[in-house]
Amino acid sequence: MEPPKIWREKRQRYLALGISCKKCGKRSFPLSEYCPYCGTNDVEEYRLAETGKILYFTNVSMASNEMAFNAPYCLGIIELNDGIKVTGQIIDCDYKDLKNGMEVKMVFRILARDGHEGLIKYGFKFTSI
Amino acid sequence: MNKVGIVSYGSYIPKYRISVEEIAHIWGEDATELKNQLQVPKKSVLGLDEDVVTMAVESARNAVNLWDGDPKLIGAIYVGSESHPYAVKPTATIVSEALPTGKEIMAADLEFACKAGTAGMQMCFGLVKSDMINYGLAIGSDDSQAKPSDPLEYTAAAGSAAILIGREGIIAELEGTYSVTSDTPDFWRREGATYPSHGQRFTGKPAYFQHSIDATKGMMNQLQTNPSDYDYVVFHQPNTKFPLSVAKMLGFTKEQVELSLVCRHIGNTYSASSMLGLNRILEKASSGERILMTSYGSGAGSDSFSFMVTDKIEELQAYPFDIEYYIKRTIDINYGLYTRYKGLLK
Repeated sequence: MEPPKIWREKRQRYLALGISCKKCGKRSFPLSEYCPYCGTNDVEEYRLAETGKILYFTNVSMASNEMAFNAPYCLGIIELNDGIKVTGQIIDCDYKDLKNGMEVKMVFRILARDGHEGLIKYGFKFTSI
Repeated sequence: MNKVGIVSYGSYIPKYRISVEEIAHIWGEDATELKNQLQVPKKSVLGLDEDVVTMAVESARNAVNLWDGDPKLIGAIYVGSESHPYAVKPTATIVSEALPTGKEIMAADLEFACKAGTAGMQMCFGLVKSDMINYGLAIGSDDSQAKPSDPLEYTAAAGSAAILIGREGIIAELEGTYSVTSDTPDFWRREGATYPSHGQRFTGKPAYFQHSIDATKGMMNQLQTNPSDYDYVVFHQPNTKFPLSVAKMLGFTKEQVELSLVCRHIGNTYSASSMLGLNRILEKASSGERILMTSYGSGAGSDSFSFMVTDKIEELQAYPFDIEYYIKRTIDINYGLYTRYKGLLK
């Protein structure tokens, strides 16, 4: 877990920042210098809606090393109330209790830990309201 | 003189709970007797992806959302805790970016056992009153540690409280603050030690009770007030019995202290303990009511505060993520899961 990468991505992860295109008007996530729809660089930062609903979800039991500490975990595609779809962990829940359409809100959590001595990566996840 | 006071507040309590019965079963203790002594049936436990930082951010965001102001106006953040995830790398820096405040902000992590959060409140009151900042955010956030089978294990819990302090939009005006400090070795954790140690019954009379009583009496003496002048009183809550006892010793009634006893539902949240008690009162208090709050931190010291609730309070009482919300959302876990969540398996 490299310090420059954590530092570069912190605002996007902490604040759920995407972009809003000044030319075509579309909004997208993650942060980018260019609009993925029309290709212009005339974009501005946009903070995603904090609530939404679960579109799809699954259970991850074979996790990467840095995510192994909280495996198994639920992962979902969330349609936020501003229409943007993001992938994120759904936490503090049992997989069998999840349902499509369930309302969720963003919370601030640990995304990954670099062992016992390395950095801790924080960012947004989702929990049921 | 400039008025200064609380302009908003936010709380956070993790979802997981372990019962006294579950812990007592593992160590062969009498759960009924323990519950009678402590009056804490369950305690809150952090999830696998939570720590003092995540809880501090959640409580701070609740305070800012409730206030509905611009976080860039906040000029200082102080986070009190005895369980910061980094020994070197301030929690306050992460909270600041996650709100987000501006970069031109004073920030520091504080440590004074269970009163580090109220020490931050005093710093913010001073900075606002002296016109050095417009708003200051004081946070108490702890994931308290307890050696397995130690009596502390039944109550050492997790939670966070944030208090936003300013001079405009005051919901509870500060009337005065008074502190006492002494070198009292009742509870400590050496550098590098995993768990704290304590002086058993020595943590009571010369430590918790003496400092809480001295600070509260000093506060009332300074303002020329009596227990009957207050509608609510808050003390640090290592268990439910201690605040009820110290309230009685000082001449407060059970009714004055009862609402503040968040400990009865979630255990001892250390730096957040008295601040969560204050937040619960702010959620219910009415204009013109008076609140006395006294924290206690081992080592040892107490900070006492007197507040007068203003007519602005009702504007900030219809918020969905209040303490009742967090008390009611629970998942009970057994001791096996508790050892994993607390990182007891090395």
